Amino acid sequence: MNFSFLNPLFLIGIAAVALPVIAHLISRKSGVVKKFPAVRFLIASRGDASARSRLKDLLLLLLRALVIVLLVLVFAKPALFSFAPAGSGGPKALAIIVDNSFSMGYGDNLERAREKASELIETLPDGSFGIVAPLVAGEEGRLSPSSGEEALRDGLSGIKISSTFTDNEKRLEEAFSALEGVPGQTKKVVFITDLQKNGWQNEKADRDWLDIIDVSKEAAPANHAVTGIDASYGKDAVTLGLSVSNFSDKPEEQLLATMSAGGEELSAYLDIPPGGKVLNEFTIPGEYISGDKPFDKAQDRSSGDARDTFKVGSAGIPRDRLAVDDTRYIVISDRDDFNVLIVDGDPREDARLSETYYLARAAETISEITGAHITVKDNDSFLGEKLSGYDLVFLANVGDVTEGSAKELGEFAARGGTAVIFLGERVRASSYNALLKDLLPAELIAEEEREVKIVPLPQPIFPKEVGERLSQVGVRKHIKAVPYPGAEVLLGLEGGDPFMIKKSLGKGSVFLITSTADTSWNNFSITTVFLPVVKGFLDMPGSANEGRRNFIVGDTIAIDASAGADRVEVISPSGKRYVIDTGSALFEKAYEPGIYTVRESGKDFYKFSVNVDPRESNLEKSETAPEGPDAEITPGLVKVYRDIWRYFLWGAVMLFISEAAARAVFS
Amino acid sequence: MVNGILDIETASRLRRFYFRSQSRVRGRKAGIHKSLYKGISPDFLEYKEYNRGDELRQVDWRLYGRHDRLYVKKFEDEVNLAWCILVDSSASMGYGEGGSQKLRYAERLAATLAYLLLRQGDSVGAGSFSGKDLSLIPPRAGNSYITPLLNKLETLTPSGGTALAEPLLKALEVFKQDASFVIVSDLLTDESEIEKALQLLKAAKKEAVIFHVLHEDEIDFGFRGPLEFLDMESEEKVIVDTDAVRDGYRKRIREFTERLKLLCHEYESRYVLSPTSRPVEEPLIEIADK
Repeated sequence: MNFSFLNPLFLIGIAAVALPVIAHLISRKSGVVKKFPAVRFLIASRGDASARSRLKDLLLLLLRALVIVLLVLVFAKPALFSFAPAGSGGPKALAIIVDNSFSMGYGDNLERAREKASELIETLPDGSFGIVAPLVAGEEGRLSPSSGEEALRDGLSGIKISSTFTDNEKRLEEAFSALEGVPGQTKKVVFITDLQKNGWQNEKADRDWLDIIDVSKEAAPANHAVTGIDASYGKDAVTLGLSVSNFSDKPEEQLLATMSAGGEELSAYLDIPPGGKVLNEFTIPGEYISGDKPFDKAQDRSSGDARDTFKVGSAGIPRDRLAVDDTRYIVISDRDDFNVLIVDGDPREDARLSETYYLARAAETISEITGAHITVKDNDSFLGEKLSGYDLVFLANVGDVTEGSAKELGEFAARGGTAVIFLGERVRASSYNALLKDLLPAELIAEEEREVKIVPLPQPIFPKEVGERLSQVGVRKHIKAVPYPGAEVLLGLEGGDPFMIKKSLGKGSVFLITSTADTSWNNFSITTVFLPVVKGFLDMPGSANEGRRNFIVGDTIAIDASAGADRVEVISPSGKRYVIDTGSALFEKAYEPGIYTVRESGKDFYKFSVNVDPRESNLEKSETAPEGPDAEITPGLVKVYRDIWRYFLWGAVMLFISEAAARAVFS
Repeated sequence: MVNGILDIETASRLRRFYFRSQSRVRGRKAGIHKSLYKGISPDFLEYKEYNRGDELRQVDWRLYGRHDRLYVKKFEDEVNLAWCILVDSSASMGYGEGGSQKLRYAERLAATLAYLLLRQGDSVGAGSFSGKDLSLIPPRAGNSYITPLLNKLETLTPSGGTALAEPLLKALEVFKQDASFVIVSDLLTDESEIEKALQLLKAAKKEAVIFHVLHEDEIDFGFRGPLEFLDMESEEKVIVDTDAVRDGYRKRIREFTERLKLLCHEYESRYVLSPTSRPVEEPLIEIADK
């Protein structure tokens, strides 16, 4: 409940409290002098009366001042109010989604969000159904409507800060969907959030059913975060790269950054411009990390057992108001590299016109999270390139393919790598069909130039929201392809031609996109679905993830196990134990940042790190934020007032009577 | 005849009242007061056995017939008396407006009494005292003496303090013969001063009547709200909430008058409370023979 005045201008009248005080002071220094013969009796009497008189004066002064204050308050019309969704006063169906993404750990944002949610619960009329759930579900937070206030409050009390980054829109839409079938004329989703810009794919979208309450106090919250930590391996040493970002509009000077690894602790003072990021490298001799075993970047992942070489490290900066992103963890191993090769078949001097410009940008963005290394090569360089050090290879409009490169690609995929092939005007269908026959999921027929949309299909590898937005993609030109048996059409075009086809090859996969990676044939790379699709390639389990030891909160993590082991145990940083069946070997409970330990047969097998998503550290606010004095309320919410001025009036009357009574008693 | 301070109508209404001394006095002229000496007045006093030297015309022959012994009738001798009327003209007596001013009231009371005393054949002297000063005109008899008395009384102006004993001592020097003293005052001075004055009067074997003149404000204290008061004699200032001190003040002024009454009784003087709101004839009737 909040307190407000409907006529606040009347509060100026509070100044009238000065009147009885002034009257009291003036009366005490009366200007009237009266000549009197029997003053000696007055002096004698004054002693008796002075204490009583002082008490009386103070009491009367207090009562009179209070009468004035209460009367002024009556005219100012005090009222209690709370926020409630607009609509009829009847039963409602209301989903309250509390943003518990880790940015809400900034200051007391989560506490304020809880208070707002509690107020909303109070305003629900009898018979209403509601959902109180966190934005980031984690292990709890199912969207099941209930009707009792107690159940809603239980839901509220269970909301805790999550370390996971999430897609707001998806969760909110799920919440709204959960209200379907619930009785109640008004169906609303109220999102209580800090309005952080990240997490909104389409922040300007009009959603009648959604009301947003902004609980953050600051318009531009400042935050510093360790946004990246990676390792590069030399022959005798490992270089740990630490990225520290300044998400504020003020420069940060001499920020102490500390790196701990292999029992060594190194520190540096960093100057970071407003909104900038600084990379600082710490070099640690190899023996500190792996004992007497030097690092060998070219070591073949498939051979040798280097599991005992895993060492942990962490980097930190002084704690600020958002502490969770002030530390980042890393497990250092010779197997940690995640390498992406992008082959540009049509490079240009102006990088923005290159075939792979958007692809490379997308991969770089994702690499900020995953720590992947991006390498871009042209067609000629690709022909002589060994792919054994790569996890993911993109071919974009690559015209020249040799038998050797085709063989290398085939072996790469068989080992567990992922190959993604974009076509284009340089691609000759006959050459591809001949040289890459064992690799391609479809036979290429001929170019077709007509404007078509992508037909949304059920997508097992892409999130639901990505599939729904694929209709944004318009294709002007593509190469007609006929899938080979065993290949799977993941996306199609209007008219029936395939757009994306997948083929499993050995331990890996090959994806064929029948149009270009740039915007010459389509707008795919400039739509909002491009980035999630590219990330989908990086997240493919069973391919690039093998051997990775550093993850983001919420990732599905493929757990390595020794041959013959039935199960392994994963121990979280807080000590929770999870038993993983080596049949699936997927760990889906990486909800807390820190170092996890994988144990096999009662012994530590290896470790992996889980870090928060650095995108969440940028607390820049969304433009969805309402403006104006009632900035924390969107138009969909109304203030529900409860008049209380009558109580003040009664109070004034009672005080008035008390004043008269006090005068009578003292007279 | 109406003088400024003498209301002749009031005086006329009191014509049948007499003001007698409570004790016998050594008057030289015929009057209404019982003389210390037995004489030929028509008032029978007692019988006494005849002795040589007694006048034979005073022998009660009827009693001789019944008892066969000679008794002589004794009669009261009635003489006149001197009165000393002293009016307090200290500054505190200036309180009040117009006719309710204490000094004006005291003047009217004194003038009326003087008029009545002269009419009953007594000699009257009058004066005023302020501080230690005494201004007095000597006592004389005769109705015509009222004019100088009135002239004396109506010229009084309130000033100075109230010191009772010193002026009284001076007055006693003037009134060495038997005399009654009338003091008209607000008695707003130290009670020890008042007691000293009463002691002097008793020691000098002078009867005294004390008219205690108080203004209605001094009795009821009917002021409202906080006021700053300035003492009319000491010029001491005090700010009081009149509502708060009223009860205490009234209690104290009541106790003061009660103590004065007891004090006067102790020293065989008569105390008459004379608020200015009271017509002057009422306190006069209080001390008159009815």
